[in-house]
Amino acid sequence: MASPDFSLSVADCPLIQVEGWDGMLGQFESSLSAALGTKLPASVGETVRHKNFVIIRVAPRRLWLALDDGTQGSSLAIDPDLGCSVCLGEGRMRFSLAGADIASILSTCIAVDWHAPTTAPGRAVQTSFHHVPVLLIRTSETSCDLVAPRSFARSLQDWLADG
Amino acid sequence: MNAQNKRLPGGGRIDRSYPVEFSFDGQKMAGYRGDTLASALLANGVTLVGRSFKYHRPRGILSAGPEEPNALVTLGTAGRREPNLPATTLELGEGMAAESQNRWPSLAFDVQSVNGLFAPFLSAGFYYKTFMGPTRRAWKVYEHFIRKAAGLGRAGTEPDPDRYEVRHAFADVAIVGGGPAGLSAARAAAAAGARVALIEQDFLLGGQLLAERSDGAAASWLNQIEAELKSFDTVTLMKRTSAFGVYDGNVIGLVEQRDQVGPPRTGEARQTVTLLRARSIVFATGAIERPMVFANNDRPGVMLASAARTYLNRFAVLPGRKVIVTAVNDGAWRTAFDYAAAGAEVTVADLRAAPPTALVAEAARIGVTVRTATRIVDLHGGRAVRGATLAGPYGQSEAACDLVCVSGGWSPTVHLTSHLGVKPRYREDIDGFVPGAFPADRFGAGAMMGNYATADAIEGGHRAGVEAASFCGKSAPVSAPSKLDLGETITTMLREIPSAQGGKAFVDFQMDVTTKDVELAHREGYEAVEHLKRYTTLGMGTDQGKTSNFLALSAMAALRGATVPETGTTTFRPPFTPVAIGALAGRATGHHFKPFRRTPMHDLHLANGADMLEVGLWMRPWFYKQSGADVNEAYVAEMRNVRQAAGLMDISTLGKIDVQGPDAATFLDRVYANGFAKLPVGRARYGVMLRDDGIVFDDGTTTRLAENRFFMTTSTAKAADVLSRLEFLLDTAWPELRVAITSVSDEWAAMSVAGPKSRAILGAAFPSLDVSNEALPHMGLHESQWEGCALRIVRLSYSGERAYEIYVGATAGEQLWSRLLEAGRPFDLKPYGVEALGALRVEKGHVAGPEIDGRTTLDDLGLGRMVGKRSSFVGDVLRRRPALLAPDRQRLVGLECIEDGKRLRGGAILFLPGEKAHGHGRGRITSVTFSPERGHYVGLALLAGDVATEGSEVVAVYPMKAETVRARIVSPVFLDPQGERLHG
Repeated sequence: MASPDFSLSVADCPLIQVEGWDGMLGQFESSLSAALGTKLPASVGETVRHKNFVIIRVAPRRLWLALDDGTQGSSLAIDPDLGCSVCLGEGRMRFSLAGADIASILSTCIAVDWHAPTTAPGRAVQTSFHHVPVLLIRTSETSCDLVAPRSFARSLQDWLADG
Repeated sequence: MNAQNKRLPGGGRIDRSYPVEFSFDGQKMAGYRGDTLASALLANGVTLVGRSFKYHRPRGILSAGPEEPNALVTLGTAGRREPNLPATTLELGEGMAAESQNRWPSLAFDVQSVNGLFAPFLSAGFYYKTFMGPTRRAWKVYEHFIRKAAGLGRAGTEPDPDRYEVRHAFADVAIVGGGPAGLSAARAAAAAGARVALIEQDFLLGGQLLAERSDGAAASWLNQIEAELKSFDTVTLMKRTSAFGVYDGNVIGLVEQRDQVGPPRTGEARQTVTLLRARSIVFATGAIERPMVFANNDRPGVMLASAARTYLNRFAVLPGRKVIVTAVNDGAWRTAFDYAAAGAEVTVADLRAAPPTALVAEAARIGVTVRTATRIVDLHGGRAVRGATLAGPYGQSEAACDLVCVSGGWSPTVHLTSHLGVKPRYREDIDGFVPGAFPADRFGAGAMMGNYATADAIEGGHRAGVEAASFCGKSAPVSAPSKLDLGETITTMLREIPSAQGGKAFVDFQMDVTTKDVELAHREGYEAVEHLKRYTTLGMGTDQGKTSNFLALSAMAALRGATVPETGTTTFRPPFTPVAIGALAGRATGHHFKPFRRTPMHDLHLANGADMLEVGLWMRPWFYKQSGADVNEAYVAEMRNVRQAAGLMDISTLGKIDVQGPDAATFLDRVYANGFAKLPVGRARYGVMLRDDGIVFDDGTTTRLAENRFFMTTSTAKAADVLSRLEFLLDTAWPELRVAITSVSDEWAAMSVAGPKSRAILGAAFPSLDVSNEALPHMGLHESQWEGCALRIVRLSYSGERAYEIYVGATAGEQLWSRLLEAGRPFDLKPYGVEALGALRVEKGHVAGPEIDGRTTLDDLGLGRMVGKRSSFVGDVLRRRPALLAPDRQRLVGLECIEDGKRLRGGAILFLPGEKAHGHGRGRITSVTFSPERGHYVGLALLAGDVATEGSEVVAVYPMKAETVRARIVSPVFLDPQGERLHG
């Protein structure tokens, strides 16, 4: 990596996806919120950090529960009349990027405006990185996580390392 | 080394403390930091810079910007070689080595300049007329020589070692153009609170203000506003950056050149393409001065008046001492005055009978000769202009000169504004086209809008900047910009009608289009500007006709007796300036060309001698080197091992989709042609999806994990398409269904153990698992945990052997693969690659991508029985079209080679015995393999149903290798038609 003020680490990304059925969203969210013990992000791109996980609304009826490193993912019991869950704990990798040069380096990877309100710390954005769908989670002014499919991870890591 | 004999002792914006050495055609020369290659060449007295496209006429430097049609050079050597670069846009760098183009053996003596003698045969469209005979193939012979004779520079053929980059950028307000209007707009938008990107193609800001004296009011104004802009954290000044295109969503394509201040920094890109997304755009792209059209108007030493002034005031170069300035407007007079002040002998030949008296008086005061109602009708000289023939009220006269400054008026630079469909609108008062009505998020200012006076440009830029910021919701109070009055007079100009009298009078310098070519096009009926363009190639050079467009259309308008707006303009398309392919590709070359997908066992495959193959984006083992010396030997050995013992295959690349919800079974019943609603929990089923038009879309297996949950697999190639299709159907066709679909392709490491010993291997690998036929029958499912990870085993076969697909969490993939190999060693378990996989399925008669090719139906593939009398699934209605049921439709058959020592080939065309092997034949071979079971080549083919009789013969013709082989039509299932191997 050419930039001295940039760091990258890659780790597994335990993840659970939950989704509510159309027409049952209110009940689904109430139930989920109670089960998790916290409020849910209200709109797509919002995140809520709670205990050892971050809840991200990735679609109007779909949320991801991204667990911190080292936390084992499992499925989450959801009333099948309200929605469903699927464990995505094996198929994603988390790229943690940090440093003052992060915006410059990311500009060669993704078409996301680092300074826009939609990417402020605590926000998440789905985008494309070298044609690969990724989820960017802004973690601070100078850091973010990219959640990427495992099969593409090494290619993306090579791209970042060459940046 | 040449002395800079044309350089003035003082002035200019060059840094005389930093001399720069460069070469042109091998000759070493010197310039200064702050020079362009063009200004440095002029400073060194170089007038002849290139040869023209068709006639190889000597050409000099016409302009001082990207509109340059003549002075194109090649930079660099080997892989770094880049041709067709305007010398006028190249920032002079230390050691720069430039070469002239399109000449042999030298620029001064170019053999192909004899082309000029053949001009009568080389008129517009000459190749359509002259080189069409005597036979139809004659053009193929001529083309080679014509293309060699005419052309521009040659690109390098070696890989370019330099780095290029593509990046994304964002702004509230993007301002294209760093002249007075653009600078003023940037200041206003930034002061209003907007995040601003100011784009300037030059390495200095200022635009036309750089043509003013470097110690005058313009320079002070420039310094002040540049300092102001730099004081904003929210302003990005993008110098050396050309906007080459404007696209949907206010995306502006930019290409930035590396600066030439020092050697490249480590990892620095030579060129960077930026895709800038802006909420609003201010176009301040200025205007391009028009040349004038008269005989031999292309001689070296003919220069746009504004360019001549730029070379004098910005670069302190005096390219000529006997100067004729010919014009139809006031602006060019300022060039005359500046040259006179610099010591040149200047004559102004103004076509107007009565130019403004103030200009005439000033000319008299400083000793400039003025000839009104006078035009140049011819120029003399070869490699440099020596004199001019002037025609005025008192007849013709000769005048010696070494520099001719021309100004035929100005054309606003509307190219970029046109890219998104804003039609140019003719403004009679300026005799030029300006942008039509902008949408709400785009604005224009300055000369681009026809406001040529500097004060107007600053005011217009300020207004546009405020409005553009306001569009973005940024409306902080903004103070008025500093004023700058350069004392310009702007009067109505006279339209110059191009003249075709005398020698060649060029309209388009780069493409060697003359007024006679325009007349010819008119005579032959190519009157529309788009026809004129294509017939004459006008405006089709690398300069995109920036200096020629208006001249040509006004010439055509005169010929047609129409007005300019009636005649119209051609369509402006990206790119505005040429962009190197390397810049567009950025880093996406070599191993970065596309991302690769690696399965969880990728490294193990490499460590175990796999020869990898790209399959779509996936890297898959093609074959294992220990199986054979090459792929042909290896795959047969791997096949034999699967048939006789067992093989292990990485199938992680299969598409895998989790389907959940109370309506999941209903959903699958609709998307698959065969039914799934009654599939018992714990069982799998092969399924086929159709497109809406009844053609087979994809196949795969789906396993019912629970009442409301299914595990679908798709082909590797169609995984993304299937997921997208399912999402589309759920969102649009059946939004009422409570179903969630999620790609879990990356979740699972998947491997298949296939072969007669597979059950024993499975038992050895999972001792606690009951692998009996009763517990785990064909199409049965087992789910449990293995080493803390989810484990899923589905008994499915693709090879025709007893086989188990084993799925485990991706993180445990390597571990399980190793475990299976270890457990299978006593049973001769060996890994096999995709070549053997494909061969095994051909032997079994399973269809795959070559057969499911977007043209075949279920019946074509012999799968119609799966559907029975079902209905109400996607594709059901249109699959019943008569054309899809015709008896002569090609359908799947098996073929076996019946000639010793010969082979079948995929793609071979099938004919009946005795038929002439011509055309598309009766069908084609889709897949082939050598069958160890049969001892010869077998294949699957699609053959016309009316001749596809089992037992009869066909002839397979493979023209690529001139091979013909006889084959017998057989059942496509070559192996175990009763399925005993896989069921037991």
